[in-house]
Amino acid sequence: MTGKKLLLRALKEKGVRYIFGYTGGAIMPVFDEMDKLGDFHFVMARHEQGAAFMSQGISRASLSSAEKQIGVCMTTSGPGAMNLATGIADAYMDSVPMLAVTGQVATGVIATDAFQESDVVGVMMPICKQTYMPLDAADVEQTVHEAIYVATTGRGGPVVIDVPKDVQNQLVADEYQFDAKSFRPTLPGFYYHPTPAREPLQQAMELINRSERPVMFCGHGVINSNAGELLRKFAEKVNIPIAFTLHGISAVPADHPLSLGMMGMHGTVEANRAIMEADLLISFGMRFADRVTGKLNEYAQNADVIHVEIDPSEIDKNVRTSVAINADVYRTLHVLLGDPMLTYKPRRRWWEKIESFRQVMAEDLRQEIELAVGDGGKLLMKSIIDKLSELTGGKDLIVPDVGQHQMMAARFYNYQTQNSWFASGGAGTMGASLPMAIGVKFARPAERVWSISGDGGFQMNAQELGTIMEQKLDVKILILNNGYLGMVRQWQTLFFDGRYAGTPMQSPDFGLLAQAYGIPYRKVETPEDIAPALQQAIDHQGAMVLEFICDPSEVILPMVPSGGGFEDMIVKRPGSEQPETSDSNGEES
Amino acid sequence: MKRRAILAFMLDRPGVLNKVSMLIRKKMYNVDTLTVCSSRIEGISRMTITLQEDDEAKVDQIIKQLEKFTEVVSAKELDTDHSYWREVAIVKLEVDATHLEEFHGRYNFEVLDQKSEDIHILQVAGSTRRIDAFLDEVGQEHIIEIARTGVTALEK
Ligand SMILES: Cc1ncc(C[n+]2csc(CCOP(=O)(O)OP(=O)(O)O)c2C)c(N)n1
Ligand SMILES: [Mg+2]
Repeated sequence: MTGKKLLLRALKEKGVRYIFGYTGGAIMPVFDEMDKLGDFHFVMARHEQGAAFMSQGISRASLSSAEKQIGVCMTTSGPGAMNLATGIADAYMDSVPMLAVTGQVATGVIATDAFQESDVVGVMMPICKQTYMPLDAADVEQTVHEAIYVATTGRGGPVVIDVPKDVQNQLVADEYQFDAKSFRPTLPGFYYHPTPAREPLQQAMELINRSERPVMFCGHGVINSNAGELLRKFAEKVNIPIAFTLHGISAVPADHPLSLGMMGMHGTVEANRAIMEADLLISFGMRFADRVTGKLNEYAQNADVIHVEIDPSEIDKNVRTSVAINADVYRTLHVLLGDPMLTYKPRRRWWEKIESFRQVMAEDLRQEIELAVGDGGKLLMKSIIDKLSELTGGKDLIVPDVGQHQMMAARFYNYQTQNSWFASGGAGTMGASLPMAIGVKFARPAERVWSISGDGGFQMNAQELGTIMEQKLDVKILILNNGYLGMVRQWQTLFFDGRYAGTPMQSPDFGLLAQAYGIPYRKVETPEDIAPALQQAIDHQGAMVLEFICDPSEVILPMVPSGGGFEDMIVKRPGSEQPETSDSNGEES
Repeated sequence: MKRRAILAFMLDRPGVLNKVSMLIRKKMYNVDTLTVCSSRIEGISRMTITLQEDDEAKVDQIIKQLEKFTEVVSAKELDTDHSYWREVAIVKLEVDATHLEEFHGRYNFEVLDQKSEDIHILQVAGSTRRIDAFLDEVGQEHIIEIARTGVTALEK
């Protein structure tokens, strides 16, 4: 047995079916062996970053299915490995388990600046959960098992195994043995505590029953622990509204009567106002990111905070908790639901208030969606998403890119399917959508998958059209083309006096581009054509590109300015009323 | 700013020190002192880090994030009331033997070597403040070279 064989044996043992990657000198032995074995479906990406996002897609989309799969990407050393870095950092920010296997130069030449040598472990260490470099073929199999255990246990995250070329080819001794079934990694420093302690649960129950104006938060942890159903039941039982983080979306149907929609920077008025006035926040599986809280010293000042979170280092990091429950969300909800103390409270005044918050923007939005065009006669993104939602019944899998269209997709699609929303959130990596949608399609082939990008982000990984072509994948591709890096343009409109530095963008003929890859294409310029075009994409068996010509001046509202508090929330379009400006416009969008 | 000591036990593996120091850099601290040694248990190292921070919550954050590393077995803060913080300094001095006599009994030092009439190499042990006081009293102008270990600490 050789290192490469043991590597692949371990992957197979762990249920890996797809390997996304790109070959090169330092990983050739493994690719060669993979081809001989024929155990895996190899998907060649057109850029290693694409491979990283494809493997994320597999992991994210299969979380909720009976057969969880860890996404695996595999590349050569040096530039191949470095091209993975963005996708790995993205997975780390979003707690997505994945495994990156990189070839490394032979041990004999490591640290000599050999051809295509990069210090992969050194580069990846701060952007992933764990790095490994097995120096002996006899360590390889065990390393893979431990790496996958670390990636998938507790809060998920990416892991990297850097395998020197000589170790790939090295033979292990005849007496080599490894029992995958009985293997348990010895990790004395690995903290994993899924079961909630009794005492904080008791305190939480008391706070919940006592509260007059509670809000429940649904974060990524709800999706990751498959606890959407439990959260819905719990919320119904205690009659508490639910606000969602970007990654909590789709855990509970978006149109559930208790739903307040998304919270935070581009959250709904009802979610953000309710949080401002709440006396209790009950948060499940989230990290109180700055995009969620806005200015921390103004955040939910009168509220007690119950924080249920698997990662203890997130508790009390940004927001002080009253009750900390360091445990798995599913298990915690399971115990809470069985608690006889649980009481239903009508909270009539609170619901009346929430209803009034819901009305603040409802009519304006309804009218805008109906009109479907901006002042210049170009399409509104929110109307496109709304129509998509209607035609698909809110049941499809949505993979947005990063920008205005992403926030529109978060807000205006009526998510009905658990774990049906896959977004680059913490890192906000433009270009994530197309490759991630490919991974999602492999994980859930029976469901319809929509990659929704802006004109900017689409061009960051447009080369993956080649992968879609080669794999004959049925991924529906929407390009919402507003001719700008729209989200940044929105900030420029609001905070930079409308100076559009570095945001206007010329695009290629997307029709010709699609044609080059043999993918059908349709351009949509009028409101009447939105539905028929979407329907054509639905009816077409296979990939299709739809380009929508969108209004560059459409803004996603409300918006809490970066560094501002919820008090500063902008709810009116610029022009219709002078927007409040924030003094802290130095942050990146 | 308040000086803090963080004590951590971790697997004795390559890359662990790298991780710890990267975390501290990411949190934008400048390490005052850092000492690593083996512990009572084979394969486990003991690390003492001192840095400046007034905010209790921020220190807790560092500790929690240290504990998050799979290699870190435990981490906690040691405060001066409940632990001993000590370091050792080796000092090369140009000073009269009689001048040194004055400090005997008051400071814990040992003469390792006398190179000539007035060149001495001393070893001084004690708390950071104690060593500073000794060096001040002897007179900084007499010091040719000094090597200090940095703080190591033990709970009472
Ligand atoms: C890789 C990367 N570079 C830069 C940014 C900063 N950024 C955030 S949104 C955005 C604009 C996106 O434009 P587009 O893809 O056209 O989408 P739109 O906002 O117009 O819908 C930019 C540049 C980013 N998030 N990611
Ligand atoms: Mg755009």
